[in-house]
Amino acid sequence: MTTKTGDQESPQASASQVDQPSVKRAPPPETPAALQTRFRVIAAFWAVIIFLGFPIWWKTTSIYRASLPIEEMVDWADGKACRPVFPLEIHLATPSMQYFEAQHLLRTTQHTLDDLNEFAAHHLRLKLTNGSTTAVHNGEDNLESVKYPTEETADIALTVRLLPQDGLAGPRSELHAATTQLDVFYPPSQVPVPSSSNSPLSAFIAAELQRLYGEEKATIAHILSGNTAGLDSTSPQLAEDIDRRLRRSMKYAETYHLSFSLFTPGSEPSSWDIEAAVNEYVTPLLQAFSPISNFTVDTQVQLYANFAPTAPKPEYDESEAAWTLKKEDLSAFVNAAEWPLNPSIGNGPTINFILYVPDASQSPLVVKENRASSWMVPQWGGVFLLNPPLSNTEQGGPSNPAHLSQDSLGPAFMTFSHQLLTLLGTPSTPASLPLRLQTSIRIRAASLLLSASSTMGSLARLTESLPSIPIPATVATSVSTTLSHLDASCAHLREGRFGAALASARVAETEAERSFFEKSMVGQVYFPDEHKVAVYLPLLGPIGVPLVVGLLKELKRIAARRKVKGAAS
Amino acid sequence: MTVLSLFSFHFVALILSLWSSSAFASSDYHEHLLLQPLPQSSLLASFNFRSNTSQQSFDQQHFRYLPRALGQILQHAHTKELHLRFTTGRWDAESWGPRPWNGSKEGGTGVELWAWIDALGDEEAFAKWITLTQSLSGLFCASLNFVDSTRTTRPVVSFEPAGDHSAADQLHLLHGTLPGEVVCTENLTPFLKLLPCKGKAGISSLFDGHKLFDAAWQSMSVDIQPVCSADGECVVQIEQTVDMVLDIDRSKRSRSNPIPRPVPNEQLVCDTSKPYNSDDTCYPLEKTIDKAWSLTEVFGRTLNGVCPLTDFDGSSDQSVCLRVPHEWGVSISEEANEIKKDDGFTRCFKLAPSVPFDISIPQQPVTTEVPLDEPVLHAERTIVGHGQERGGMRIIFGNPSNTSAVDFIYFESLPWFLRPYIHTLHATITGHDGVLREVPASEIVKETYYRPAIDRERGTQLELALSVPAASTVTLTYDFEKAILRYTEYPPDANRGFNVAPAVIRVLDKAHNAPIYIRSTSLLLQLPTPDFSMPYNVIILTSTVIALAFGTIFNILVRRVVSLDEAAALGTQTLKGRILGKLVAIRDRLRGKDTKVE
Repeated sequence: MTTKTGDQESPQASASQVDQPSVKRAPPPETPAALQTRFRVIAAFWAVIIFLGFPIWWKTTSIYRASLPIEEMVDWADGKACRPVFPLEIHLATPSMQYFEAQHLLRTTQHTLDDLNEFAAHHLRLKLTNGSTTAVHNGEDNLESVKYPTEETADIALTVRLLPQDGLAGPRSELHAATTQLDVFYPPSQVPVPSSSNSPLSAFIAAELQRLYGEEKATIAHILSGNTAGLDSTSPQLAEDIDRRLRRSMKYAETYHLSFSLFTPGSEPSSWDIEAAVNEYVTPLLQAFSPISNFTVDTQVQLYANFAPTAPKPEYDESEAAWTLKKEDLSAFVNAAEWPLNPSIGNGPTINFILYVPDASQSPLVVKENRASSWMVPQWGGVFLLNPPLSNTEQGGPSNPAHLSQDSLGPAFMTFSHQLLTLLGTPSTPASLPLRLQTSIRIRAASLLLSASSTMGSLARLTESLPSIPIPATVATSVSTTLSHLDASCAHLREGRFGAALASARVAETEAERSFFEKSMVGQVYFPDEHKVAVYLPLLGPIGVPLVVGLLKELKRIAARRKVKGAAS
Repeated sequence: MTVLSLFSFHFVALILSLWSSSAFASSDYHEHLLLQPLPQSSLLASFNFRSNTSQQSFDQQHFRYLPRALGQILQHAHTKELHLRFTTGRWDAESWGPRPWNGSKEGGTGVELWAWIDALGDEEAFAKWITLTQSLSGLFCASLNFVDSTRTTRPVVSFEPAGDHSAADQLHLLHGTLPGEVVCTENLTPFLKLLPCKGKAGISSLFDGHKLFDAAWQSMSVDIQPVCSADGECVVQIEQTVDMVLDIDRSKRSRSNPIPRPVPNEQLVCDTSKPYNSDDTCYPLEKTIDKAWSLTEVFGRTLNGVCPLTDFDGSSDQSVCLRVPHEWGVSISEEANEIKKDDGFTRCFKLAPSVPFDISIPQQPVTTEVPLDEPVLHAERTIVGHGQERGGMRIIFGNPSNTSAVDFIYFESLPWFLRPYIHTLHATITGHDGVLREVPASEIVKETYYRPAIDRERGTQLELALSVPAASTVTLTYDFEKAILRYTEYPPDANRGFNVAPAVIRVLDKAHNAPIYIRSTSLLLQLPTPDFSMPYNVIILTSTVIALAFGTIFNILVRRVVSLDEAAALGTQTLKGRILGKLVAIRDRLRGKDTKVE
């Protein structure tokens, strides 16, 4: 293989003639035309392979990968693209103060507030309104304003009304439970004089506001940074509460399905006044939550619901005169294998509430450690043990009532509504429900923003690390929708429009999830290389060898000629 | 014959009255069990569970008797009426007579599902149908998600809605079958979970998966339909039935010793009139003594009282009925009461709550039997022909009646890879005289609805309105072609054959209001099955051919042509030549040594 076929007068040729003299005669040298033809033939074959075969193979076996804005996505995940801020607008209504007095009070209070604040992302902005009109308007239409956030102005988080009241030693405050209004009563003597830079009234208002928003601030700090260490004023107790609540609460969803189930191990009670109970205890709460999420409610009655065979049985406690369940056994209480607690159909998670009526022979049933009758299962739902009064039947032996009236369901549904609030991640303070819902909007917006951003980051990392997965165009569209909505959400937050921010963050989260869980992206990953070899080799082996050898020979000949030429010149 | 049909009418009337009398009763839950010994030591057990939920609480998702999971599926898929069937085995109509519930509660072998879906158009209806099958598949642990467009048909005249639907609904009927589905215990567990008493109390406590699926024939059904009373008040009714025919001998075998033993010689009753009868040959006689059995022996469990949700007034408290002649001795548990009905064959039992109940029938001589009706129509369907390319279908309808013709709808849904030639549809009539007459198919077939298949999209749908004259047998035949599937379309067990769904026959009987349904057995179609290593063989063969052709052409183009002696000279310059030269040199050297030694 090493010799040049065309080179007939090489030393080897003469050497061989020594071994086998006489008959063997070397062929005449090849004509340049023949050499050129051979060169052209080989070049033509290789041209077809390189310019036709290879592109076709490349084209037909490559996977479509839409281009993604990887850098931008990673920026969002790293928190470089947006630093969420929460400027809360608080209106100060001073119906009985002079304008300059009010101005001065506003300035000093704002100053005190800014001094007190240690978490820059969450700050309160005071604004003066002219008196009662806003307050009244605000008080009535608070829910409306949350539901339909106006495009231009920031949401009003709270209205503080300053009312003079005689006979007071110092200022006192009163929070309306059903509206976002805080009334501050102050002795008229305490109106700050313009000369002083500080006044007890402004200090009081600042402290009061700080107290109202303390938990929210800590929660948002916890969500944004993962811990509350940055805030000194947060007590460890509060930090622990917040941490626990965030772990317990459901992931945010547009729709939640609430499922109320009556379970009993026997045949009674087999009916309940569920419609009335839901209307009385649950519906008002769901209406209040309607700006944040939608809810569906379904109920069921399940008889003969036994404990799982492996679950620990309740024990009779003589001292308590009750059947008891140990606290550590509560996790095995729900018999997931047999009780029909399948999630509801449709998008969104299901929150299960179980009303368990123990058998008459095991009534009353309570938790051993604290005699509690209800507990929560984090991110799943709640359980309530209802021990109705037993009645004696003619067959002897006590039995449960056949029907549960609305009154007897009252305590259970009160508990369920509390559990629902916790599961939805609503903070426990302040006392006013509208304020807590507003807080909940901000918390949800923050967590959605973060979760959508981190999904973007994961998607970017995934597509980078797996070069063999296809990226369909729909994913690129979803990603760009997500990014634009994240931008919008961030801008809304900066301008204090939290309702709009939540709406954008919702869209961003949905689109982010859709792009991440796109089905066609996992399609071709598991096509093994051995199969490719098995399919290609029978064809490429027999064809490839002559082609490559031909090419090598030709290259060698050209190289040798060059050398000869070089030596000659 | 007339006496027989009179009795049989009683039987049908009993079932119908049990079914309809309480349809609008105050209570919302009913359950009923009918036991009837059948010839050949079989026992028919027919379980029925029915409950109502008001339309209002159904819409508001307050579920009490209606299972929540099923109710939500119906609402999600906008399904107004649903019929689901799980069936295994074959009903032996020749020995067992007409089917329970007139066949309206059974399906073809495997799984059968049909539903009326409220939708604006056909496409929307199909999308909802897919949602429905996917969800039901999860709920019942069945492969219902494989009901795709090729297995879905829209029957025109074979099914009528059983519920009362408002005129505003745009209902679409969709029908799907899975003839290859193996119905097993994993389908019974979700079925039991749908019952309010969950198999813990009442007649449902008799269900044991091992016995149920060991039966010679069994059918589970779920029917949901809206039922409206005359004053416009509507309820959503769910009815679940389980019908099974148990072989008493087989069921009585203990689970620890399930191998059947031959009857000892001394217990054999031989026909001594046979000429070959001797000590070692015996023609066994039909037994004259019925086997003893009890509920506990046959079902392996005791009946746990009554489900407390049933109401305790009216006829529905007699939840267990037994159809044996009144002369028979039947012993029951002490707490229960026996009520004998007037027809001479039915007795019902009033059960005490939460006390186990058992019926036992001692061994006794058979004097009278419960008369069985003659089925209105015999039907049989087989695949005929040979070879891998073509085949034929033969359907035989026999009308046992001597007086009246029988009209019915014959409905077939064939998979797309079975391509029927409808022009080859022929009919022959055989009368009682046994003379075969070829008649044009149009004489028998009154109407035809035919929807041809589209490859890989939908199957063939064939609905024929037929009439079989009195005392004659009609044989319909047509030819078909077997399609060749793509490589990936074959299932893992391709050589087993492909299941063809049973045909559904709806008898239009004016005498009874409810239609009578008969289903044929499912068929196994052998398709041409390739050797599945074929693709690799093809790749290698074609590659070899291409490589050969390519190598030849390439070599002709590239090689230099020289004369033979020139080639020898060149040969020494090549690698081969040099190796040969070396070898020759070594040989010469060795030879030289040898000569030196010598």
